[in-house]
Amino acid sequence: MTVLTTPRAENISGHTPILMRVDGLSKRYGDQQALADVSFDVRRNEIVGLIGPNGAGKTTLLEAIAGLIPVDSGAVLWRHNALPFGRRRDSIFFLPDGLRPWQEQHVLHVLEFFAAVYHRPSLVLGNTIKLLGLSPVLRQRVAALSKGFCRRVMLALALLTPHPLLLMDEPFDGFDLRQTREMMDVLREAAAGGRTLVLAIHQLIDAERMCDRFVLLAGGRVRGTGTLDELRKRSGQIGAGLEDVFLALT
Amino acid sequence: MRSPETAASRRLQVWPLLAKELREIFNGRAFWTMLILLCPLVGYSFFPATTLYGDASAAARDSPAMASGLSPLDGVLVPTFGAFYVAVTLLFPFVAIRVLGREKETGALRLLVQLPYRTVTLIGAKMAAVAIALLIALIPALAALALWEMLGGHLAAPETINLIGGHLLYGLLVGAIALFSATISDSAATAAIIALAFTVSSWVLDFALAGQPGTLGMIARLSLTQTLRTFEQGLLSVGLLVGIAAAILSFSALAAIWLHPGMPVRSKLKRSFACAVAFAAVLAIATQLRASADLAEDARNSFPLADQRELATFNEPLVITVHLAPEDPRYADLRRNVLAKLERVMPRVTIRLASSGQTIVGSSTEESYGEVEYSYGGRSAKSRSTSHREVLPILYQLAGWPIPAPVVGAEYTGYPLVADARVTLPWLFAVLPLSILLSWWWVSRSPRIPMSLAQDGGST
Repeated sequence: MTVLTTPRAENISGHTPILMRVDGLSKRYGDQQALADVSFDVRRNEIVGLIGPNGAGKTTLLEAIAGLIPVDSGAVLWRHNALPFGRRRDSIFFLPDGLRPWQEQHVLHVLEFFAAVYHRPSLVLGNTIKLLGLSPVLRQRVAALSKGFCRRVMLALALLTPHPLLLMDEPFDGFDLRQTREMMDVLREAAAGGRTLVLAIHQLIDAERMCDRFVLLAGGRVRGTGTLDELRKRSGQIGAGLEDVFLALT
Repeated sequence: MRSPETAASRRLQVWPLLAKELREIFNGRAFWTMLILLCPLVGYSFFPATTLYGDASAAARDSPAMASGLSPLDGVLVPTFGAFYVAVTLLFPFVAIRVLGREKETGALRLLVQLPYRTVTLIGAKMAAVAIALLIALIPALAALALWEMLGGHLAAPETINLIGGHLLYGLLVGAIALFSATISDSAATAAIIALAFTVSSWVLDFALAGQPGTLGMIARLSLTQTLRTFEQGLLSVGLLVGIAAAILSFSALAAIWLHPGMPVRSKLKRSFACAVAFAAVLAIATQLRASADLAEDARNSFPLADQRELATFNEPLVITVHLAPEDPRYADLRRNVLAKLERVMPRVTIRLASSGQTIVGSSTEESYGEVEYSYGGRSAKSRSTSHREVLPILYQLAGWPIPAPVVGAEYTGYPLVADARVTLPWLFAVLPLSILLSWWWVSRSPRIPMSLAQDGGST
């Protein structure tokens, strides 16, 4: 497994075609404005980090993009065409945070279910299991898994889908440092294989290490988008890390 | 616009989805607990029913008239399946709720609705799994029927299959209600409360309001329990079948409408309204369907064979005006013994209650109260009888036809059986529950890992 520790921003230029455009998404829960006119682009094959503090609206935004919650206004465009709510699942797969689905079922059955639904051959299933180190727990029930293994199973499910765009909410939550780096490599391999990733990450160090571009979100509003260098220039924090840039812009 | 891979994945197989739903049921405790509880419940119904049937049979040994009243449908089948009914009403909702409630609680629903299946397919697979679970839940009751046969008891296939079919339809209706409850609830516990509110309140409705006049009577007829009565009488009614099927489909459709968390509530309400209107329309049509088949071996829903043949040829309209309050027991007798049978056999029968607001208290002193007027072919006659033996000659007289001679050998002679049912107790209280426990263990064991998936170098 190749270990990459530097972002691939240099490979994603402004000429890379836009895969998805989020255009003016707004969502209100009663008096609370969860999302306010959120707009940004995602280019093909890039890894976009959705950055923000707790309550910034990251999960709501990902659910809105995936069509899992109704929005008050706004649209999602796929290669410049409107992507209606009912067809989001054709192109986008969202992996929510904190899931422990089908707890009474064995890990092997859950993985086989996704592989069968998406017509994945057993070779692909085997490689995914190998990539995520799941062989030791295949005979266990999902309910009996540790948090780390449960997260790996969830990542395996996402990787078994054929969707060109994966949205993941806190994909490294529950991993220690070594495991986080392993999983970063797995996701980078997925991106290198042609996937585009949008990751909601609250650990800014992880995000800086992993993502090509960032969407800074606070209070349901976009406070900045771009590569780390672009955000540094906008914030006037030349040479600063993502943490300082984030604090300066939000 | 779509990726080729996802477009390809639209050529879907439903089997993986159904297999997942079945695993969800069979890996949980609710189903197996219900199945194990069903054994003593069925045993507790079957044993006294068989014993009482034996006692009645012993008394009828020298009396053909008494023996003709001994029907295994009433004596053994209905009481035995009564236990199944109790389990389906009180326990099966928990099994059905599980196939969706757990997914809502654990967040798995958010993965499920992203799979390339339509919500109708998702709910269809869940209903199919619920139906399979229901079929398996029949095992204790079917085992009791097998024991009845081994004791020398008689089973008539049409009435037995009709009764089992009725219970399956009732179970599917309960399953569809439970699934809908799970769709609109945030937790399995809330869903269980909603589903039980449907089933138990319908039970209470049946007890409290059945036989009441007017609106109360109409409400009582909406009771789910009422759906079983017809099947328990050995009658297969097309209108009832259509009504139950429409109810099952409507609750399933509502579950599909409310399943997706991403659909705005306003859209869900609009679709639900359309679904309710369609259901009401089908129900209205179903109430007009009078086709039915008397599958009871003793033909209790029909007149004697000779009369059936004769009455079927009456082509002119028969108008019956009843001067009885609907809650009057005589009206119930007349309805069961004469009116319902006439409606089944004659093509054109109209039944009128002289006054829909009539009550026993207010009308019993009227001179005409209790009279039933029969009008056929421009002639009419009155009678106060509720027995077909007195009413049918009146009809033949009105039509100017002779009374037909009875068909020899067509009478039901009954199936008396004196048997010691104690030998069935170990089977229903020990062998069957133990077999179910063994099946639970076998189903729950860890899967074998194919060699191709067994190796990797991952760490935790």
